[in-house]
Amino acid sequence: MDFNLTPEQLLIKDSVARFAAGEHADSDPWPTFTELGWLAIGAPDELGGFGGALETLLLMEQFGRGRVVSPYVGGVVFAGTILRAAGRLDLLESLVDGSRRFAVAYEEPHARYDPALIATTATPSGDGFVIDGTKVRVLDAGTADTLIVSARGPQGLLLLTVAATSDGITRTPFASEDGHDVANVRFSGVRAGSDAVLSGPDSALAVLERGLDHAIGALCAEGLGLMSAMLEMTVAYAKQRQQFGVPIGSFQALQHRMAEMFIELELARSMAYLAATTLDGGGDDETRQRGISAAKVQIARSGRFVGQQAIQIHGGIGMSEEYKVGHYFKRMTMIERLLGDVDFHLARFASTPVPAEREAVVV
Amino acid sequence: MDLAFSPEERAFRDEVRTFIARELPAEIRRKVQAGDPLDKDDHYRWHHILYTRGWAAPNWPKEYGGPGWTAVQKHIFDEEIAYGWALRMLPFGLQMVAPVIMEFGNDAQRARYLPTILSGDEFWCQGYSEPGAGSDLASLQTRAERNGDTYLINGTKTWITAAQWADWIFVLARTDPQAKKQEGISFILVDMRSPGVTVRPIQTIDGGREINEVHLENVEVPVANRVGDEGAGWTYAKFLLEHERTGTAGIAGCRQMLALLRDVVRTAAAGDRRLDERMALVEIELEALAFTELRTLAAESAGKRPGPESSILKIRGTEIQQALTELALDALGPYADDHAAKKYFNFRKTSIYAGSNEIQKNIIAKRILKL
Repeated sequence: MDFNLTPEQLLIKDSVARFAAGEHADSDPWPTFTELGWLAIGAPDELGGFGGALETLLLMEQFGRGRVVSPYVGGVVFAGTILRAAGRLDLLESLVDGSRRFAVAYEEPHARYDPALIATTATPSGDGFVIDGTKVRVLDAGTADTLIVSARGPQGLLLLTVAATSDGITRTPFASEDGHDVANVRFSGVRAGSDAVLSGPDSALAVLERGLDHAIGALCAEGLGLMSAMLEMTVAYAKQRQQFGVPIGSFQALQHRMAEMFIELELARSMAYLAATTLDGGGDDETRQRGISAAKVQIARSGRFVGQQAIQIHGGIGMSEEYKVGHYFKRMTMIERLLGDVDFHLARFASTPVPAEREAVVV
Repeated sequence: MDLAFSPEERAFRDEVRTFIARELPAEIRRKVQAGDPLDKDDHYRWHHILYTRGWAAPNWPKEYGGPGWTAVQKHIFDEEIAYGWALRMLPFGLQMVAPVIMEFGNDAQRARYLPTILSGDEFWCQGYSEPGAGSDLASLQTRAERNGDTYLINGTKTWITAAQWADWIFVLARTDPQAKKQEGISFILVDMRSPGVTVRPIQTIDGGREINEVHLENVEVPVANRVGDEGAGWTYAKFLLEHERTGTAGIAGCRQMLALLRDVVRTAAAGDRRLDERMALVEIELEALAFTELRTLAAESAGKRPGPESSILKIRGTEIQQALTELALDALGPYADDHAAKKYFNFRKTSIYAGSNEIQKNIIAKRILKL
């Protein structure tokens, strides 16, 4: 075990922190991301890639701290992991050099986060397929030019790519509470060529789940950044805000609450790092899923507590749209539910067997 | 950063695992698993086995006979203690008074006390709390009046675990009654066999007799038994408490409790999804805390003293321990067996001792958040 960051990792952290602290609201961040090499995190060496989930964590934590709204989780981490796991380095190259932008359309209205519950169909037609179905809450769908879609073929689950502007695709963006790019996507008689298949029935679900777990790891890191920023804001406010002639931070009821926020933050930090190293560790699928579900549960529960208390301790100003803490709270609230909520991940964790070497055997 | 065990670390783990499997007396393993009370001899036996191997004091530096382990090795050792159902060592000598003697004692004290703490030949207990001084420890009233080369100590210390077995007690006593609250306190080592020391057991709500009241009546103690400077005892007391808290997370014990709980659920409530998920939640919290403890240990071995962050370990560790006893009780249903109920009652102590969890939150608020 080694707890130190390498000089390269410290450099990423610093450059992302500088970006996140600056003005990043209105312009398209993609050229910057491409230039700084951030689209290449997790890509193989031959594409100029570097790092893995730990580097993604360092980046996403700073994005969280700075409340950066960008299509990174869906467009880079989720899609990039899928392309790499599917062995499509040609497509991954176009992601890394910034020439194409991807989104993953996997979740369906009835599925409640379960990636295996898919009603969308891919019906063979000519030498390709026709896709019909509805996908919901597709992350970063609005900015994508290529969609990765999961659908049921005659032999089982498939992952296919289609141009986002293909005939028969309707993207309905909705105003998400956190300002992120999210859309429902309808596929109605959408034609895909035979070369559109990324993964066939033997691997599609495993590839999709790997992508999901990496995206969840990135969300956990973003949540960590959001929480740390919310705690800092809250403590600073409590020191400065005067009531009854004293700073409200001198009241024990509030001190204990902030101490509890600190504890939640540190536990969340531990789990976000554990998640990243689980993703980088190359263990089996069950170990990875168990670790990621544990992290998501912790981050979601800690995040809910830290967010709610941040608003509470700020009082009226915390309710004001004009003040920043509410925006952090809203993004945190979305992250709780994105790609599986506490109930979903708790059930997944509970149903995965305990690794034998982590269990004391009762004799 | 690489959080996987290196090949050397894995080899170390196997070595510890094999050692515990081979050397832990079967009767002790049985008692630990059954949750039966352990007696002084159990503690002494296991301590001596580890001492012979050179592993009795994982946290001690090499110069005093510690194994010189890294933070990760300490973590592995602790986990293996749990997986192998070994006994956890009493902390009062090894983890509490010893670091104080190393840091603030003189050479004569180091030579006199550390070897028998290490070998387990002398048992220690902690004389901090008093009937009128709990969370407000600095209001303690025990007096140590100086008379030439001796102190005359009078007072009552309470809630003292293992006092009935102890050869020594480390006492916080007021040497200067005129000084301000925290300033007139000294840290004194008292031989339990001295005339004037009486131990009275206190029965707890679980029926146990692990804690005691210790009366000190005109007990004469050589001034040479004072550690460090007169009046500086409060500083040493706080130093000790920080060491104490790192140990109180009790991760290893939680792992044992969790394994037992799984066993209970398998037999008494198999297929109860709600229980499974409650158990999963505690397990996730335990994972998060175990890694937080490892981060703290790593910072420590990088040269940082255990700081106020150790309060996290105390608070959340005891909350998890209590949650596990609650779950065992709930899993067994309305006729929860004797052990489960007793353990549940007993474990209410954990959020009270070693600085109540409310005091820990004060520490986080003041020293970390600077509120």
